[in-house]
Amino acid sequence: MEKARKKVTAPEAGQWPDKVLLPALVAGAVLTTVGFLMAFLYAAPVNGAALSTPQLVGDNMVTNQQLLSQKIFYFHMPVAIVSFVALILAVYYGIRFLMTREARFDTCSRAAMEVALLFVIFTMVTGDLWTRFEWGVWWTWEPRLTTYLILMLIVIAYFVLRNAVDDPERRATYSGVISIIALVDVPICFMITRLIPSSIHPVVTREGGMAPDMALTVALIMVGMLLVAFALYRLRFRQLRLAERMQALKDQLED
Amino acid sequence: MNPILADMYSTVIPSAPFIIGAYAIVWLALLVYVIIVVRGLKKTEEQMALLEEAIAKKTE
Repeated sequence: MEKARKKVTAPEAGQWPDKVLLPALVAGAVLTTVGFLMAFLYAAPVNGAALSTPQLVGDNMVTNQQLLSQKIFYFHMPVAIVSFVALILAVYYGIRFLMTREARFDTCSRAAMEVALLFVIFTMVTGDLWTRFEWGVWWTWEPRLTTYLILMLIVIAYFVLRNAVDDPERRATYSGVISIIALVDVPICFMITRLIPSSIHPVVTREGGMAPDMALTVALIMVGMLLVAFALYRLRFRQLRLAERMQALKDQLED
Repeated sequence: MNPILADMYSTVIPSAPFIIGAYAIVWLALLVYVIIVVRGLKKTEEQMALLEEAIAKKTE
């Protein structure tokens, strides 16, 4: 048992991912900015309701209203996917903690869950702003929205629970279990629009996929957001690890 | 303005505040989070240096 414990190699601050942290953050910021500009200057607008009379604008015959609100999608979808990725990372480290009882895995899980919460909030805010404009309401009990709200509440519960339990080992154990519960909701969130079709969240692949200009813009922002999320995770992990080491030194000094 | 053109762009201007809001909130929140974490990291590093100094003095 003791031998098995010694073999566990947990992530630590200062390892190679920290060396690429700053370049990843800068690259992420640049890619998301380029993607943002492409969303407005390169990706074609989406058609809305048909016009009573087609109108020639420049060299193009325009037959529909132009939906600018759809531009929210270029940030909304990537941040939603990144929230799932961060959550999966948090669960991975939560499970590693439950298997090994190595506290550093719990620290990794907590940092990843914080990033997941940030991106879950972004998804909710961008989605709600679109809903408010298009439908005139802040909220509707649509299946994807409802399952995603449940996911957000589970992630918030994770942090409420962490603050409520003092014993580090018990706190980490409960957190690991809650993160697994959150993970159960991820495939439900993802698949719900395939099981219960919804006009707000169309299944893009089933409807012929995205146009190349749209797909390229989404891909750039997605990669940018993933890099930003990775940098935020490592930055927060470094801070948490340093705080833990400081606490250990304080305890040593008090003894 | 040509009524057809007015109809074509009728959803553009009213939706602008929501689009600007969505992008601004994401970018500002990311910036604020980075600032909070970096400031926290610097503060912890300073405290760590002081603590290491105190331990070194104690062990002398």
